[in-house]
Amino acid sequence: MLSFRAKALLMFQNGLGRLMAVVLAPFYFALIRLKGYRIRDLKTVRALCRREFEKHEGPWLICANHLTMVDSPLLSYAMLSLWMHIRAYRWIPWNLPERNNFRNPFLILLCYLSKCIPVQRSGPRAAMKQVLAKCAYLLSRRQRLLIFPEGGRSRTGRVDRENFAYGVGRFLDDNGQDLRVMCLYLRGDNQSSYSTLPAFGERFTVLIDVYTPEKSALTGLRAQRDYAGQIIGRLAEMEDNYFGFYRQRYRGPDRSRQHREEWRQPVSAAGIHTP
Amino acid sequence: MDEQKIFEAMINILKPYTKDAALLERATRDTHILNDLKVNSARLVDVIIKCEDVFSITVDDDEADTFRTIGSAIDLIHAKLN
Repeated sequence: MLSFRAKALLMFQNGLGRLMAVVLAPFYFALIRLKGYRIRDLKTVRALCRREFEKHEGPWLICANHLTMVDSPLLSYAMLSLWMHIRAYRWIPWNLPERNNFRNPFLILLCYLSKCIPVQRSGPRAAMKQVLAKCAYLLSRRQRLLIFPEGGRSRTGRVDRENFAYGVGRFLDDNGQDLRVMCLYLRGDNQSSYSTLPAFGERFTVLIDVYTPEKSALTGLRAQRDYAGQIIGRLAEMEDNYFGFYRQRYRGPDRSRQHREEWRQPVSAAGIHTP
Repeated sequence: MDEQKIFEAMINILKPYTKDAALLERATRDTHILNDLKVNSARLVDVIIKCEDVFSITVDDDEADTFRTIGSAIDLIHAKLN
């Protein structure tokens, strides 16, 4: 249970972030553009996200694969336009970055103003419980939470179906039917494994899948493991889809007629999942 | 079940999750499962679930938080079995 003071501080962070979004959102967008990052079929991706967010105000659990340290801002950029970052600030998801990645005071401030709740993996249980309580509180206020269910960047470059964290399962187990899950698969054409940053000028594909997990018949820790496994399984399926279709389309040596026909289609023609 | 038997069972349970088997040979009640045995924090849940299976007990979230050292795990299991 979150104390009144902690709730107030969280809402203060939200308010301050909202004010600063006028400056920070264009800053992030400019950085992404300067790095030459581009998202394929961006308008369709944003339209799909907008449609889903309008259909269901919240709470949302946004689960994504994790390959680089800038996946969160890239996903936020992919989901919402600059205008929506400012107008619909509550649609920007909260993030749970690893505390040890933010030692520079400027980055700590940036993190604070960008809807981040730092978490220390394998840290003190009390601190972890406090983070979970904050997340539960945010979800109870119909906010969005961006989580990387693998618990870290994919060390093999692929979604790891065996060694993943079960933390995401706890949110599903605790929040019941009202919580919607949006799975996002983000990958750059040249991203073969995990890295700190994507390559300069990288082109990304984003796949979206709004997903209702099957109610687990299990309880406690087993239910959490079951839910986490379902989400990881879903992300792995999206990855299979990506490698089976997009990777070949954008990088592969296939120059067949079918390939040329597929090339003319927008990404949304066959790949972005919808419920 | 006495504590020594629970300790031996715990060592067997921890084996697949410990990267260095030599660490387990030197393990005592005070050995920290995450820090000393280098068990991945995400795998600690698997250890707890395995304990539930082996000892036919149920561990809830709050009790799972006490699974820090081998000794604290043994105390919890012992209390549940008796």
